[in-house]
Amino acid sequence: MTTDASIEQTAARIQWGRLLRTSGTLIGFLAIIVFFTINIPNTFLTVANWLNISQQVSMLAVIAFTMTIVMVMGDFDLSVGSMASLAGIIAALLFRDSQPVIVGVLVALGVGLLGGLFNGVLVSYVGIMPFVATLGTLTMFSGLAFLLSGGETIFGRDIPADFSGFARGGIPVGMVGERTLLFPNLTLIALIVLAVVWALLEQTTFGRRLYAIGGNAEAALLGGVRVRLLRLIAFMLTGFGAALGGLMYASRVASANPTQGAGLMLDAIAAVFLGMTMSEEGEPHVLGTLIGVLILGVLDNGLTQMRVDSYVREILIGAIIVAAVTSSSLAKRGR
Amino acid sequence: MSATPLLSVRHAEKHFGGTPALVDAALDLLPGEVHALMGENGAGKSTLIKILAGVVNPDRAEIALSGQAVSIPNPQTAFDLGLRFIHQELAVVPQLSVAENLFLSHAYPRRAGFLVDWRRLNQSAKTVLDQLGIAHIDPRTRMARVGTGDQMLVKIASAFVTGDRQTPAVYIMDEPTAALTSEEVTRLFGVIRELKLQGCAVLYVSHRLEEIFQIADRVTVMRDGCVVGSALINETSSEKLIRQMTGRELSQTFPARETPLDSHIVLAVRNLATEYVCEVGFDLRAGEILGLAGLAGAGCTELLRALVGADPLRHGEIRLDGETRADLTPVSAWERGFAYVPEERRSQGLILSRSIRDNITLPHLQKISRGGILLDRRSEEQLSSVVGASVRLKAIGPRQTVRELSGGNQQKVMFARAMSRTPRLLLLDEPTRGVDVGAKFDIYTLIRQVSAQSVGVVLASSDLAELLGLCDRILILREGRQTAIVAASGLSQHELLTLCYGDGDRDD
Repeated sequence: MTTDASIEQTAARIQWGRLLRTSGTLIGFLAIIVFFTINIPNTFLTVANWLNISQQVSMLAVIAFTMTIVMVMGDFDLSVGSMASLAGIIAALLFRDSQPVIVGVLVALGVGLLGGLFNGVLVSYVGIMPFVATLGTLTMFSGLAFLLSGGETIFGRDIPADFSGFARGGIPVGMVGERTLLFPNLTLIALIVLAVVWALLEQTTFGRRLYAIGGNAEAALLGGVRVRLLRLIAFMLTGFGAALGGLMYASRVASANPTQGAGLMLDAIAAVFLGMTMSEEGEPHVLGTLIGVLILGVLDNGLTQMRVDSYVREILIGAIIVAAVTSSSLAKRGR
Repeated sequence: MSATPLLSVRHAEKHFGGTPALVDAALDLLPGEVHALMGENGAGKSTLIKILAGVVNPDRAEIALSGQAVSIPNPQTAFDLGLRFIHQELAVVPQLSVAENLFLSHAYPRRAGFLVDWRRLNQSAKTVLDQLGIAHIDPRTRMARVGTGDQMLVKIASAFVTGDRQTPAVYIMDEPTAALTSEEVTRLFGVIRELKLQGCAVLYVSHRLEEIFQIADRVTVMRDGCVVGSALINETSSEKLIRQMTGRELSQTFPARETPLDSHIVLAVRNLATEYVCEVGFDLRAGEILGLAGLAGAGCTELLRALVGADPLRHGEIRLDGETRADLTPVSAWERGFAYVPEERRSQGLILSRSIRDNITLPHLQKISRGGILLDRRSEEQLSSVVGASVRLKAIGPRQTVRELSGGNQQKVMFARAMSRTPRLLLLDEPTRGVDVGAKFDIYTLIRQVSAQSVGVVLASSDLAELLGLCDRILILREGRQTAIVAASGLSQHELLTLCYGDGDRDD
């Protein structure tokens, strides 16, 4: 390639401009942390609180990380929330039938893959828009969860201690006074999912091809990418993540209810969008999604500690999402 | 220069996407003047125009209208200052009528304060259309039902609508004739001459040299973001302009064949038919360049799509190196050594949001990654740099985003992709469309080099000179049917065009 000195100089200048444009969300995140550190001086910036936050967001994180996979292709999966509920219900029903924990978990995860396969077939082989297809399956999965559970919450003795104990457990990392500080199992799972999704999207040919599909599906097809197959696989992975997130939720609350995952879908999409503001081309990246998840989690934690009304909390969180996306698109318009 | 320029630009500078797009550019438009602006893609013409349109904020620029210094922060200001822009791809609103489209940027005439006065709107529209000699277009027709060429004329006419304001002074036309028939071009030129008489100034951007000599009074040439020369039209010549644009001599436009044809047959096609083409059959020898010629819609693009497996075969046979390829898909085609450069590089070829590297290696990832799975960015970048250099790609480096490149350089990325692993068969669809003179020559040289490596080349082009200059044989398609294969040598453009129209067939 031909290069000359003047191009090198401007290239350096552009790197700076790029950094400013893409780091607005990160700066906002740091500002939120500083704000809570000042206003909640004793408890906010402590290891215990941050481990607590990490556990609180772990379910959302898993679903948002795997949601990133389909959003890289420019698709959506609206069915993740009801899939999370369904997975919890299926595992709990198997537990009630005195099946071993491992069987319940594996079957629930299998249902996640199957649901994802169904979404993938609709989107990629039948050719229905993801928004419409997954809106349909959202309702189907949710109906199925109600049907199987009879609309009731499964809890108490039906949920084995092995299963509910997992969410309460963790790896000891130190002592705070009398209490042992645990690195929560759920956080660990979220980190593993993060690592896997990151490697998949950023380090493999699979991820590169998904980004190509998201950039220009027609060009990807003519450039030798198996667009249909890859879309199918991506939806399966998102379905799997949704089921995993649902199981984590069920473990944490030691019960399963046909609506408990419902709120996760919008938060997951919001987290991916927040992350997208951090990329120059507006592409989703899983590390950006991580920041998005943390912003939502930290806001929730901090505002709760400041005893802000939960309705006001929702308004604030929504406003912050809108502000992040607005400022990033304004910054990009200026170039 | 005696008269005060209607529009003058001094010291215009813009750094854009890593490349200095504009360096200390200057331009004067005199009243009653048609001023041609020429230069290769990426020379800075578009940037200069976008600055005038208020779409791009310059790093610095001194702009004056009739001697008054102005700044143009947004398109509305440009409009209010009386600057009118005519782009080749100006959007129309197909659901609205011709009259509504004409008056889109103006207040519609009203009745009773808030009702649109349709009669007056249609009358004003008719007046404008009449003035421009395009009275055959009914202002009440829906835009969707107006032909493409006429849509273009309507778009052009919309710039002439004055509304309540004073007559606009400066028209800036960016390749206005790209989609026009010669008859429509004549009409447009009539309009431009009328504008001249009224004392308006026209900045006219075009790649077409003949047009420039027909309509322009003065011509300014840009290269690499700088103005390299400005001259009265009768004091310059095509050769001079080309030299200024490219910075080098173009001794011959088409590099000649230097290696003899191989006897080995790379590609054999027998009785091929898809939904769009039929009765196609030919043998392609190693190193041969086969042209595809035909009128718009004759099936050249569709034949290439069939060869690359993008459209399913109804029947027929494609043999590569003697082996039948029955279930060809783009994936297996690339694996077998087919390389494909589609017609529309932006919509069908490139992932604009990704880097040069990602675009070049996309079809070759399986081969260049560890175990076909783990990305090996170092080898990818090495490969991209090497093939990038071989196609004379101008860029910051392999990680630059393709969106930031000029049209010619984007096309070179497509070529770099096709050439990353020496293909067996190179399928090219309009490889030089929208590409400037210098890049065109680079691309011709590349095609010749590839064919010298015993690669079979199939080249579809609507540029007859290009087909005659490069190809060994030319396959003629008419309404999806193969009608002839002729040797290119000794054929004139006129004869080739006659074959495309189908007056009198002629066989090899």
